[in-house]
Amino acid sequence: MRNYFQVSSVWTIGCMMGLVLTSHALAVSDEDFNTLKDQVSKQGGRIDQVEKTQAVATNTAAKSEVSVVQPVYPASALGSSASHNFMMVGDAEVQFGKVEGQSSGFTFADFAPIFLYRASDSVLFEAGFDIGLQNGSTTLLNGQTHDSSSQTTIDLSFAQLDYLLNDYATIVAGYMLLPLGTYTERGAGWLNKIPDDPLPRALLQDSGIGVQIRGSIPLDDSGQVFTYAVYGVNGPSSVDGSGNSTTLDAGSNSIPNLDLGGNVGIKSDSTTANLHSSPSGGGRLGWFLPWKAHYDLELGVSGQSGAWDDAGKRLWSAGVLDAALHLSPYFEAKGECINTWQETDDIGTIRPRGFWIQASYKLAALDMDLPIVNDVELVSRYDRTDDDMGTRTHRCTMGYVYYLSNTLLFEGDYESIGSDDPSQAHNDFVLQFSYGF
Amino acid sequence: MNQSRSVKLRRWGGAAWVAAGAIIASTIVIAMADGEKTAKPKAPTGAELYAINCNRCHPERYPTEWTAAQWKTLMIHMRVRANIPATQAKKILKYLQEESGN
Repeated sequence: MRNYFQVSSVWTIGCMMGLVLTSHALAVSDEDFNTLKDQVSKQGGRIDQVEKTQAVATNTAAKSEVSVVQPVYPASALGSSASHNFMMVGDAEVQFGKVEGQSSGFTFADFAPIFLYRASDSVLFEAGFDIGLQNGSTTLLNGQTHDSSSQTTIDLSFAQLDYLLNDYATIVAGYMLLPLGTYTERGAGWLNKIPDDPLPRALLQDSGIGVQIRGSIPLDDSGQVFTYAVYGVNGPSSVDGSGNSTTLDAGSNSIPNLDLGGNVGIKSDSTTANLHSSPSGGGRLGWFLPWKAHYDLELGVSGQSGAWDDAGKRLWSAGVLDAALHLSPYFEAKGECINTWQETDDIGTIRPRGFWIQASYKLAALDMDLPIVNDVELVSRYDRTDDDMGTRTHRCTMGYVYYLSNTLLFEGDYESIGSDDPSQAHNDFVLQFSYGF
Repeated sequence: MNQSRSVKLRRWGGAAWVAAGAIIASTIVIAMADGEKTAKPKAPTGAELYAINCNRCHPERYPTEWTAAQWKTLMIHMRVRANIPATQAKKILKYLQEESGN
């Protein structure tokens, strides 16, 4: 009996404990179940991520092993600045114009790319082209011609190899823009604030084939610089080969005999030679003085001299003074004074000459908080030329530049030209979109 | 009495002139020293050299318009075309490459 009670008591207590513990156990699993479920789910996600990361790392390691095992070419130490690089810059223009006595029209569509190929840290090849459109012509039954269809013109502006010899000298070889003044080297379409070139620039050779050494020497830590350029080129030539001042074209029209755009070393019969006995030499010395950003003065003197007739007896020489001044980001003034001397067989030495001066002012300086006005720059230029054979021409230009962006410009100007030659005197206006890229 | 007073006044007057001269001289010396400190040009940064050189001919391009490798090519082109000294070209290139963002 006593045993029975003992067994019964133990069984009863055990049942009660079992019930209590069971109910408690059930309550805990309900709360923890979802938590544990979430934890398991998260852990599963983490494991998947770890597996993926491991797979990527394994692949990368495998690739590294391959590159280590097979180093075909060593990697460049220059990082993102690759040792070789090819790129294109340049400009494009579209013009609308009206010349007095002629119909207005879209007059100009020009694309001027510059291709740059950097072969190393010290070698660059650069070539500039000028691609434009011009009306073609058809010869009619009566022998007259009339404009018909169009033709594309492609001009090589320059093609040169630059070799940075050291910090102070660069060797340039090829077909180069010549540093006679600064206009040619800084005269791309979107750099000009006026669409036309200054009149006296026609008196100079823009480019030539040859060799040049140029560079700059800092004069102090503020940015002040002395610059120099020395070059030898084939030089100008004679249209008819003689040393006469003028010659006659196929239509019996008198034209200047001096040819400033030819003599590129390969003759029309494909033989190679300079058209006269000796090349021309030239150079420029410059001084650039900035006293802070947007405030600077630049002065330069440049010149060139050499034979121009086939016999090599007559010299053509040029001298140019150039100056540029910036006072604040808003005001700029610049200009060139150009003198040339041409020895001739028939009229002795003539001295074609001229000058141009240009000033511009950005209206943003007035701080009027007007979006359109703030993006306008007013510009004016006066240029004058004298051919020393009786014709003097002067031009006054007033215009504006509207900056649609830092490289997209909408330019407009009105030009008034006066001349001793009535055929040259006229007024006209030009509108131009210019884009630098 | 008046004579001794006059002598005193002259002495004080002379001392005053000496003191004034010393003050003016020291002021000039200090001003010149300060002037030397302020007049000595601080070497321009790459960004300043970029503004100084590039605005001579065209509006500044944004550094992000080209990659670091392209800026290196352009810098050689402009160093030759605009006769930019090597030391300045290097500082300008460093600025442009850092700001190019790639």
